[in-house]
Amino acid sequence: MAEGGSGAPEPIARLIEAFHKLPGIGPKSAQRLAYHILRAPEQEALALAAALTEVKQRIVFCSVCLNITEADPCNYCLDTRRDRSMICVVEQPLDITALERAGGFRGLYHVLHGVLNPMDGIGPEDIHVRELVTRLQSGEVKEVIMATNPSLEGEATSMYIQRLIGPAGVRVTRLARGLPSGADLEYTDDVTLSRALEGRQEL
Amino acid sequence: MSQRPRVYTTEGVILRRRNIGEADTIFTVFSPTHGKFDAVAKGVRKARSHMRGHLEPLTRSNLLLAHGRTLDVFTQAETITGYRTLREDLDLCGAAIYCAELVVRFTADRQEHRELYGLLLDILDALDARSPLHTVRHFELQMLGLMGYEPQLDACAICSTRLPEADVLLSASAGGFVCAECRAVAGAGRVISVRAIKVLRYARSAGMEAFAALRLDEALAREVQSALAELIRYVLDREPNTGKYLDQVARLPRFVPRADRPDDVHSV
Repeated sequence: MAEGGSGAPEPIARLIEAFHKLPGIGPKSAQRLAYHILRAPEQEALALAAALTEVKQRIVFCSVCLNITEADPCNYCLDTRRDRSMICVVEQPLDITALERAGGFRGLYHVLHGVLNPMDGIGPEDIHVRELVTRLQSGEVKEVIMATNPSLEGEATSMYIQRLIGPAGVRVTRLARGLPSGADLEYTDDVTLSRALEGRQEL
Repeated sequence: MSQRPRVYTTEGVILRRRNIGEADTIFTVFSPTHGKFDAVAKGVRKARSHMRGHLEPLTRSNLLLAHGRTLDVFTQAETITGYRTLREDLDLCGAAIYCAELVVRFTADRQEHRELYGLLLDILDALDARSPLHTVRHFELQMLGLMGYEPQLDACAICSTRLPEADVLLSASAGGFVCAECRAVAGAGRVISVRAIKVLRYARSAGMEAFAALRLDEALAREVQSALAELIRYVLDREPNTGKYLDQVARLPRFVPRADRPDDVHSV
């Protein structure tokens, strides 16, 4: 057991196994990473270990928008210059990074941490929909922008939330769908193309 | 081994997806010639993937696949029907996902099932044309029949005597309706009204379009739905996951999001 299948000493075998658990890391890559750490300067390895501990200890979910943050509430929720009448709903924290990078949005966010996936049994109670409904109760929010992915699951989630919160009188909008830059019309699917055609704009 | 051609083409409906690794996805496809099977699409989650939109669940596509060691690999995909209308409606979309789940659960891998494939296309077409949701009952009953689980609707499932035109007991374990004399033998079950039995018989004999045109009041529609749900639960020995989701959606308040949907107007 200690020497494992790889014949490596136990601490290395354990490190290999830990890397192997990471997404997209196969047994060979795990081995390569482990031996890289072994050869790397000690500070580098310790810095990695410290970063790993820190991320688990210091990162929490924002109690308002559920974004990942060091301080609760997060910077976006605290920023008084942001427009509090708009909430942009995203699937994952990384989506916020993408939207911020793109610029242009100055409202608040809400992270669902997932999407509805009826066939796999992931329902509204498994994602953070309830927290969104609670946030709307103050009446301050006038518009909810659904920025879930334009996939079957993402759209189902958007439509579900629309029906859930629509009666409250909040305006529910959705990101436009169409062609990404660099796309080929030839390879674009019919649904996207027909939506792009409908959403055409004056040049 | 090496005689086998490296690639093959088939059409199919994408039933579900499972993401793996950085950008790959395993899709479950239902094809008329190859039955249900899993295949992997490499890099399909990247923005520049040519296959992305053509492999969305609930899309009917022409597919080119390469034989792989464990899983076959998609090399090309082109949409035949994108079913846009049903995709953009919460109820229709849920119903379609439910039908897709039934196909996933009722079929074995790589078993050709042309008739079930045809039935799946029928229900997707019907839902895409905004057929009423009770059309799904036709799909359920016909699917049970195709898979060899057609319930006994005319005679007692235990003693085979003709059923009276009255409310009778539905016993999923007996395989259908049970006459008054056999009730004790059948044990627990649900009493089904004559009207619901007639709807079920109609679902068996009529085409999908004719059945969709039926006018069912809400109570009757619910009765037929629970009868079929019980038969399906018995065969699968589990509840389809989507069933719970459909219940949750049904409980949501109804309102009219846009003026162009008069069919769905229900005052809250």
